[in-house]
Amino acid sequence: MNDYKFMLLIFLDAAILIGLLGYYIYFSSLNPKGEDGGIKKPLKKRFFFFIMLTAVLLILLTITIPKSPYFLFTDKSPSKVVFVDTRQFNFIMSYQAIDPKNNSSGEAIELPVDKPVEFRVTSLDVNHGFGIYDQHSHLITQTQAMPGYVNRLRWKFTEPGTYKVLCLEYCGLGHPAMSSSFIVK
Amino acid sequence: MTVTMASLSLKKVSSAWIITILTLFLAAIIMGILMRLNQGNDIKLSTNGFYTTMTTHGLTMIGIWTVAGLVGIHYLMSRYVKVSTRVNVFALVLTIIGVIMIWISTFFGNFHAGWTFLYPLPLYTAWAKWATPLFLFGLAVLGVAWFVWSVKMMTEILKRYSIKQIFAWQHLSKKEPEVSTPPFILIATVSLVGIILCLITEFILLVLFFAEYYSNGSFKNDPLLMKNLTYFFGHTLANEALYLGVALLYELLPEVSGRPKFKTTWYIALAWNCTMVFVLTAFFHHLYMDFVQPVGFQMVGQLASYFASIPAAAVSALSVIFLVYGNKIKWSLTNILFFIGVIGWMIGGIGAVIDATISNNMVLHNTLWVPAHFHTYNAMGNVLFCLAFFWWVANEFAGSQETTKKNTATIAMLLIGGFGFVLMFYLGGADSVPRRFSTYPSEFSAGISYATTAAVFATVYFVAMAMIFIEIVRKCIRVFYSS
Repeated sequence: MNDYKFMLLIFLDAAILIGLLGYYIYFSSLNPKGEDGGIKKPLKKRFFFFIMLTAVLLILLTITIPKSPYFLFTDKSPSKVVFVDTRQFNFIMSYQAIDPKNNSSGEAIELPVDKPVEFRVTSLDVNHGFGIYDQHSHLITQTQAMPGYVNRLRWKFTEPGTYKVLCLEYCGLGHPAMSSSFIVK
Repeated sequence: MTVTMASLSLKKVSSAWIITILTLFLAAIIMGILMRLNQGNDIKLSTNGFYTTMTTHGLTMIGIWTVAGLVGIHYLMSRYVKVSTRVNVFALVLTIIGVIMIWISTFFGNFHAGWTFLYPLPLYTAWAKWATPLFLFGLAVLGVAWFVWSVKMMTEILKRYSIKQIFAWQHLSKKEPEVSTPPFILIATVSLVGIILCLITEFILLVLFFAEYYSNGSFKNDPLLMKNLTYFFGHTLANEALYLGVALLYELLPEVSGRPKFKTTWYIALAWNCTMVFVLTAFFHHLYMDFVQPVGFQMVGQLASYFASIPAAAVSALSVIFLVYGNKIKWSLTNILFFIGVIGWMIGGIGAVIDATISNNMVLHNTLWVPAHFHTYNAMGNVLFCLAFFWWVANEFAGSQETTKKNTATIAMLLIGGFGFVLMFYLGGADSVPRRFSTYPSEFSAGISYATTAAVFATVYFVAMAMIFIEIVRKCIRVFYSS
């Protein structure tokens, strides 16, 4: 099971549980146990729930924060650097820094498998997104392309193949057609 | 606390608000259905038509459900403090003017920069030249209306309660303080403070936009600063709108259920003070994918987003559970809507926490997971809180008693339509389908099917809402003939 299906499963399980709990609580009010048939020792139960919820969230924070993209592959030098300039409605990719006043259509990009690479992403006009999709059309990583700033995205591709790049920040009428690709081998 | 009757003028202006909000709501749902049908390849909108509809839909929905909360708290606040009907009318007139300006800029001027109007897109005019300033001035008009209204409500609260009391700080040190802050006043205060701060931010944002727009190229804004300002404004407004709905729940749910009123305790006071801080700092999660943002802010975004769920679940949701569980409840559509709204709020909250985890956001940001979670806690959360208030107040206007039996079909359609509709967004998000695509490329064929199915569910939700709309409006109209 991939991460996407796992997240969906966790969410759906939690949603169904909340729905069933809601129905159970509603049902309990249709058949009350008496004048005051509600929860006994509510403060104690509330405190227990608070502790449990806080503990779960702290554990999740501890596990997930180190996996944030800002910390990925920062201990190694990238084997390739790709400069990415975006504009309405295309991507320009090159191994060399791109001159914003004299930009071409870029060049075909080939990246090595199992080696960290770095994308230096910026925009020549409005905000765009730089979302990398694998061969199964799953989004594997992304960063934003913002004018005046360069976002450095590091990634290690573990499978060879053609990867598609889509714009993931709404940028105008051509937004859904804004795409590119590169090869990993 | 003596419950005082709202004045006839307040009832009339509230009725006018409710009719306006619900009419715009039905129109905005139709826009949403049209967009999903277009994404499902069932109808063919022009790309321009799709994005002007998307911009109008988003801004209309955020706007009406923010003012719905303000209408509700203004009405119920009259139980505790003097309220100004004149300012309420002023806000209504300005809101209608602002909405007309924005709708003209989108539908006639083709402005389509999205409801977040993320800098610098509004300045890259791919539409009528006049549409950008009209849109921005329309936002300014709405901002002025809601700012004046919110500040007026805050000043009225402060005439009766001290600063310490409005935040219920006296409850943190004493078990039985001399002056008890009603939970409604506490939550309304926390929400109004947030709304006032985000509207001040909106004004700063608009001034910066206008400065660049009218500078003829001599002044340029900083895109990162503008992005932070945009999301502080947009995120906070949407979030505080939900909390206004929660304030209505705290005030009305026990009353209509025949249960004792909620009382402010130390943990309720603490929870809402923490909520105020978390809501104002959670907006950083919109900038997770901007790696140039200082990492410390990104961490604050995840911490605040996570911890905002603690008071929501451990205090508010649990209080509702304790109120209902095993107790005899007088069920009516009002408290059923509140109850379903809490369920929707919690489910949407889980979707939000998953997305607010930075490592997940890397594969969920700007996919359909985003509209999935915010539609859950809006369409199945805040909208229901406000509708519960509308239903209750409409019955109060008409002097009629509530029954649930005849509403079973409406509730069933609401549940099936609403949750079915948002489920399609979640499935799309888990399949990496991007949001804000007018049509999907061939690799997202699943997204096309989800869109068509979502349109069917949304139509069921629309029918439920139309039935509620007819009942509420029929009763609200009577107020205009009262003397």
